[in-house]
Amino acid sequence: MIILDSVTKKFGTFAAVDSVSYTIQKGESFALLGPNGAGKTTIVRMLLDFIKPSSGSITINGLPAFDPESHKHIGYIAEQHMIPPYLSGFEYLSRHASLIGLSGKDVEKEVDRVLEIVSMKGQERIKSTAYSKGMKQRIGLGAALLGQPTLLILDEPITGLDPIGIRDVRQILENLRGKGVTVILNSHLLSEVEKTCETAAIMYKGKILIKDTINAIVKDHETLEDVFIRYIEHENE
Amino acid sequence: MNNVIKITIYTIRDQMRHKSFYVLLGLSILFILTVRGCYDGGYTVNGKMMDNVTFAWYFSKIVFHLIAVGMFLMVSMISIKIFSRDHEDGSLVLFLSRSVFRWQYVLGRVTGTWALCLIFMFILHLTIFLTVWAKTGTIISGYLTASLVSSINLLFVIACVCFLSLFMPDFISALFTMGILFVGFISDGGYQVINSDIVRSAVPSSVDLGPALWRVLYPKVFMVQAYADAIISKSEFHNMGSFHPLLNLSFFILLIMTLMLGCFNRKEI
Repeated sequence: MIILDSVTKKFGTFAAVDSVSYTIQKGESFALLGPNGAGKTTIVRMLLDFIKPSSGSITINGLPAFDPESHKHIGYIAEQHMIPPYLSGFEYLSRHASLIGLSGKDVEKEVDRVLEIVSMKGQERIKSTAYSKGMKQRIGLGAALLGQPTLLILDEPITGLDPIGIRDVRQILENLRGKGVTVILNSHLLSEVEKTCETAAIMYKGKILIKDTINAIVKDHETLEDVFIRYIEHENE
Repeated sequence: MNNVIKITIYTIRDQMRHKSFYVLLGLSILFILTVRGCYDGGYTVNGKMMDNVTFAWYFSKIVFHLIAVGMFLMVSMISIKIFSRDHEDGSLVLFLSRSVFRWQYVLGRVTGTWALCLIFMFILHLTIFLTVWAKTGTIISGYLTASLVSSINLLFVIACVCFLSLFMPDFISALFTMGILFVGFISDGGYQVINSDIVRSAVPSSVDLGPALWRVLYPKVFMVQAYADAIISKSEFHNMGSFHPLLNLSFFILLIMTLMLGCFNRKEI
């Protein structure tokens, strides 16, 4: 379970995240929606302790987010995932696997398993400099899936992916449903969010405007996109 | 395996992937081998004939320090990029998105860089040691021990450059560190000269001038080199103040590492 309690993050006087509180239950597929600069990525960075909240607290499975122990079962993919240029996809994934505590043959087995899932088998020995943006994103997704994570944090995971890649990501997320894996998805592609997530929150200027199940947010004859635009335009008025 | 050891191994491996590492090592060894001719033949100093064993001994000491100075430059060039490169290429996210403590990451990177540079310097010193042995049949006992002693200076340079690179542009942090070394060189070098046998016999009163407190407390990089020199020469070591330079430098390394970990913990990624 993830609990954000009155979390605020200020950069100088600018509040990127402003007193945000919400709880994500175990096994929940949760989408964080909002226009650029809404504070979605700042929340993700705070969850991973890349930046500290100015005030408030974040708890992941009972541990504070600043405790690296809380990252033990987290899989994370960044928007525009970067892979060190001197590593191949296999080396990159092996490094991740080793850091989550796997060793020897288990590393190879686990890396092979995720390479199969992200359709990168056969291209894993190529240096990452030769990878396209989409291939890097697939390897990044593979890294996030290593070691059966209980929490997946996906920050714009489909950026740079072709339609087949987008379909693959959707299938992966659908497969994780009902397996007790909590998913936090940051995405601009609202149609994908609608298909893959159960709950969503709409953020704007650092504040949560609404958090509920997608079924409750989206009324009859509406799409998530309609609701999103309605909320943002209402705030702009 | 502990995360620090894992990151240390990754650091060594990553540095050794660069072809420039082997080119630099090869060129350095080649340069050292080109001077092996100096160990042949006789030399006359102040009208006295110097046998090639004595000459080789003196010459090896000079090369010992030249290698150390070259290593200071190389180490600072490697260290300036550690944090910024990891930030740019995604390595930092790789480590810290996993259950790796920030201190483990910093310690692993610093230890890995130090281990690599220590090996690099040791290979160069070993080349000199073997060349002298092959050419003159003399084993300069203490030469390799002195190399290991001198390697603590490399750790100081790495820690210093990495720490400063958290606040200032990479290149400036290297220049700043070189400045620290230079001030130490002037201060400690002056002290060594004043306490040398030649100056003592010429100006006996000079020994009564005690160094200023800041000079005693200043990072003793040059003094560690002088100590390493004394190990090779098996001569008396003139320490400045009551703290041994190894103790002084260990204290500074510990202090810098503690400050660096504190600052890195607050760093936004």
